[in-house]
Amino acid sequence: MMHAMLLLALALAVAASYALSRIFLGYPRPASRPVWLSRRELAVVDAAAETLFPLGGAIPLSGREAQIPAFVDSYVAAVPRNLRILMRMLLFLVEHATVFFPASGGLLGGGMRRFSSLSPEQRVAALTGWEHSSLFARRLVFTSLRAILTMGYLSSPGVLRALGLAPREIPTPICEADLLYPRVGALPSTIALRAADLTPPSDGTPLGPRGPLRADYAEGVEP
Amino acid sequence: MLPPGEIRVFAQYGEDFREEADVAVVGSGPGGAVVAKELAEAGKRVVLLEEGPPLTPQDYEWEGARSMTRTLREGGLRATRGYVMPTMQAICLGGGSLVNSAICPRAPDFTLERWCTQFALAHTTLAGLSPHYESVEKFLGIAPTPENVQGARNLLFKRGCDALGYSSEPIPRNVRGCRGSGECFTGCRSRAKQSMDISYVPAALRAGARVRTSVQVQAVVSEGRKARAVVGQVVAPFTGRRSYRFEVRAKVIVLAAGCMATPVLLQRSANLANSSGQVGENLQFHPGVAIQGIFPERTDPQFGATQGYQSLHFLREGFKLETLWAPPGVLAVRTPGFGHALKGRLAEIPYSATWDAISSCHSSLGTVRVRRGTLDPALVWRLDERDLPILQRALWVLAEIFFAAGARKILPGVHGMADEFHSLREADPLRSKGLRPKDVVCGGNHVFSTARMHGDPRRGVVDEYGRCHDLENLWIADTSVFPQSPSVNPMLTCMALAHRTAHAIAERV
Repeated sequence: MMHAMLLLALALAVAASYALSRIFLGYPRPASRPVWLSRRELAVVDAAAETLFPLGGAIPLSGREAQIPAFVDSYVAAVPRNLRILMRMLLFLVEHATVFFPASGGLLGGGMRRFSSLSPEQRVAALTGWEHSSLFARRLVFTSLRAILTMGYLSSPGVLRALGLAPREIPTPICEADLLYPRVGALPSTIALRAADLTPPSDGTPLGPRGPLRADYAEGVEP
Repeated sequence: MLPPGEIRVFAQYGEDFREEADVAVVGSGPGGAVVAKELAEAGKRVVLLEEGPPLTPQDYEWEGARSMTRTLREGGLRATRGYVMPTMQAICLGGGSLVNSAICPRAPDFTLERWCTQFALAHTTLAGLSPHYESVEKFLGIAPTPENVQGARNLLFKRGCDALGYSSEPIPRNVRGCRGSGECFTGCRSRAKQSMDISYVPAALRAGARVRTSVQVQAVVSEGRKARAVVGQVVAPFTGRRSYRFEVRAKVIVLAAGCMATPVLLQRSANLANSSGQVGENLQFHPGVAIQGIFPERTDPQFGATQGYQSLHFLREGFKLETLWAPPGVLAVRTPGFGHALKGRLAEIPYSATWDAISSCHSSLGTVRVRRGTLDPALVWRLDERDLPILQRALWVLAEIFFAAGARKILPGVHGMADEFHSLREADPLRSKGLRPKDVVCGGNHVFSTARMHGDPRRGVVDEYGRCHDLENLWIADTSVFPQSPSVNPMLTCMALAHRTAHAIAERV
């Protein structure tokens, strides 16, 4: 009896050590200090970004080059707390669900390692499993992850320029409302505009692809 | 007491405050802004309360995700449970009008007649609402979208409809001088869209209204059959952090907080105005489905009116067709696949057009309930199997129009089908395959009926003019009073009903 209990305790200790090391150890230190995400979460985002948006192909920039991890970090910081928790749970799930849904190779081939430690081919296999699962909940996890990362990819000025989708410079007419509202967080006394500054309203001239890019999306500008 | 005709913003609050008015209006979206302006012009002392801040063009974020975290409740990630469907509600001065596509059709005659017949209403016919529609249309300059700012993706829709003999027309919008920037969703930098913050709210201020932004109304205080005041707290923009308390006492209180917030507010106020049991019930959406089509030539879809063309051809079948654009990152979240396949599809966006169908799904109902510790609602809604044929038919018609317009392929976005169809014949599963609700990806931003009007007080929350059956001086002026789907985009009908409500109040105060 005592022998069996010792064995059980040992097994539990080994399992706990494995779980803790799997969850906490061996993650690389990020190049810049994140706002909200942990280095573990950033590693998941980085791995998913490189899998969803690999280098080359129809758009040259990879997910990492498009700075998806930095986008996700700032995005998670901006959403309400309950959603922030859900997003972090989503990253945890993607990272560790390989225990239940192993990538190619299974246990011996390393398919049960955490997602960010898988080989590029295994990450593809893991995400394919999520995308085409017969379980709605699994598909939902995948589409949520892809949605967040796609928003990040298409927030990159470099990607938008490559697609010809970067915003154009648009002169903004000054209307009556501009004399009423200060910028968010500022006092009305900061409104510098007066009635004499009002301009004619938009004349309806169509915009087109030949117009100049907005300054913050111009060549050489990255967030 | 503050002087009339004044706006206060977050940075100006330094202590608890109390105000008095003839009319307190909660919410500055299309319903509340109209009520505030009309009643201020009628000489009433009006206080307009808005939870969000006013946004200037310098505050707009062009990038979709960041914009959503600043302008939409729950960061733009609010969704129903039961059937998971995203739904967006705005939190800013002007409400949804700041971030919608300015679509302003009148509700069709047959829909309003059905409302009257099924909900014991007498005056909510097209003829009865016409003066109110006309007033709003004139004030906002609502007119069909001009051809020169349609852009290719809108005109391709017209081409496809013409080829098939389906009627289509430029969308009437509350826009003056549109340049076709395609930026309706993130705030119009051209100041062309006549959102409430640059139209009705300034007019209300001119007429003497007091506008209080960044104030969250948390409850309606009542005694017997009378509402006395609204109470709440100042909230910081974007973070929602609460601080000073306020109370606004008024002879009349108008809730125009939106189809989600209005029932929550009533529920938090000791289940006010709910002898019918209908507050928070009957939640309806216009579930929207969309298809992306890829054309041989560049469409440069970022240029052109955000939503410039529509077809009302299938309204009686239960759906309306529209063209669509949104920030690329938001529009692309449904793009299938990953890796180089996904990148390849994203690279086709400059050759794409996205068209959608919004559907009147009368069998698909849900509820809005107060969630503990927050004013955010708990939404439960299910897409009923009986409504699926409407969505499936709409998807098929969209596919027909795409190929008739010359698309070389479409991305249907339906689970269990191919990611791409290259011909109408290939797309046949859209017509023939049996679909389950969870196969279809829907979005639902038009919301109705959670405090519906009904001529019978036992079956509705408000009467035909928006006054609560249970209280003498509590009125509702947002889409929660719609008895059902209006069949088309709801903003203009919401404003017309609010206009009627304002004049009904003016006669009584």
